[in-house]
Amino acid sequence: MAAVLEPYIYEGGIHKHSLILELLEDLGGYLVQKTPASTEVTLVMLIPKKDVPLVEELCKKLLGTLTSAPLTGTEIAVVSPTLASHHLPHSACDVAEYLRRGGANTNMIGLARGMGRRVALSADYERRLINEHDVAVFSFGTFKDCIINKKPKLFEGIDIPIVVSGGPDLKTEDVPGADMYVGGIGRVAHRMRKGPELDAMDVLSEKVGEIINLKREIISKDPLVVLPARLMKEVQEQVPDIHDVLTPAPITLQLDGMRIKLPFEEYHEAIGNIEFDEGFKLSDIANITSSKMKDYVLIKIKRRSEVGSTI
Amino acid sequence: MEPLEIFIVETAEPSEAKAYESIMKDVISELAFVRTIGRIKVRIRPEDSLFMMAIILRRGLPPVKAKEISETEIDRPGSKVLITVTDEKTIPQFLEKLWAQFGRANVIQPQRNLIEVISDDLKAAEDSIGDIIVDDPEKSLRERLADMAIRSTPEGFRIRYHSLDNGRFIFVASEDTMQQEWIDEARVMLEELTGDDVNGSSA
Repeated sequence: MAAVLEPYIYEGGIHKHSLILELLEDLGGYLVQKTPASTEVTLVMLIPKKDVPLVEELCKKLLGTLTSAPLTGTEIAVVSPTLASHHLPHSACDVAEYLRRGGANTNMIGLARGMGRRVALSADYERRLINEHDVAVFSFGTFKDCIINKKPKLFEGIDIPIVVSGGPDLKTEDVPGADMYVGGIGRVAHRMRKGPELDAMDVLSEKVGEIINLKREIISKDPLVVLPARLMKEVQEQVPDIHDVLTPAPITLQLDGMRIKLPFEEYHEAIGNIEFDEGFKLSDIANITSSKMKDYVLIKIKRRSEVGSTI
Repeated sequence: MEPLEIFIVETAEPSEAKAYESIMKDVISELAFVRTIGRIKVRIRPEDSLFMMAIILRRGLPPVKAKEISETEIDRPGSKVLITVTDEKTIPQFLEKLWAQFGRANVIQPQRNLIEVISDDLKAAEDSIGDIIVDDPEKSLRERLADMAIRSTPEGFRIRYHSLDNGRFIFVASEDTMQQEWIDEARVMLEELTGDDVNGSSA
């Protein structure tokens, strides 16, 4: 039985932060993402639940902070109707930033023709790209009529849970096709920093967390053959070229898989041949496909019911 | 007329009007329009995909003429006109105007605030230089006004009508075919804004 892992973010000085990484390895935890920024470092980690106090103690000694990050290990699409200044950078980018603070990896997706009311539409390519994520957050505007009557056609073909953010105060059931609606985050032309705006962002982060937990519960009923975090570690050890990838998150964890930021054509065989101590090959226990995002490798891990056992 | 003495945003839902007012305020301050707009009224009907705006501008700044920012004289041998510019920040625009009028080869700038102009008829040249309009704040304002209108409109409303007449601006945008009744409605909005202060509307 695998240990229960708890997601946390460490923020502190880069000095001696390797002590945390060593401790994490000893405890059997996983480092999901490390972002150094001059003398500071941010570590996104999965720590075994019973050992959290040990890590906390060390973090205190290093004068850093350890905070719970419930969205860790998820990849969230923040979808804006277009890339025009009407929708970006505020409030969609502010939404993405808030979700990242919760530990999520976010991708901003600006639709090519999502603007307006009658003319709004999404392309097949865009829908497939959005469907590769765990959750899609649609960032809409100020008008109730648009959100209820017109914009929901952008949800057609989206199979993942949909969270909608918008200005008016609506109920989730008023917005057809949405799994969750969060008000108070409509179109603004300034960075969100006022009290009510930040409160609304906290609510959004919380609601996205609820949706993620629901999805985790559904997965736990028929669990994945291998934990994405464990698979990440194997990729790092058996596909050494991943260490030369310069994107901030070369391996982006998802609830039921991961995106490996290496070209599919060159690497899908090497990745498929990853072996586990338990005797499995990755290609036997996961679907390895080409991602719509820059032709990266997308892995979706199979469930126990498909394979017959878990690692 | 005081800056922004009337600022009305109308929608069916009062809370949406408030939110849109905040957007308009941000756009206005971003484009430095706060002191230029006297009265503004915006009406939005999302169900008709309609955005209308009427603005009355405050009296703007007059055009800057060359004689206000420089002194001209004919040099002693009588070969060229010497222009001493007193307002340094207008020099680039001034040079452009001189290039257009006298040709690039005939305009020399030996020092930062000194410009020499060669011409066949120096006296006529000296007289005409004084009347050159170096900078027209009204023109740049008109350009920024169009930018402001497009920024404030909900995106996707790409069928637009605008009219600027003597500091009175109306703008109508939609994603459907433009209708005359909308333009008429916007004109009525403008009339309502004008109210009793007709003289204050000239730019």
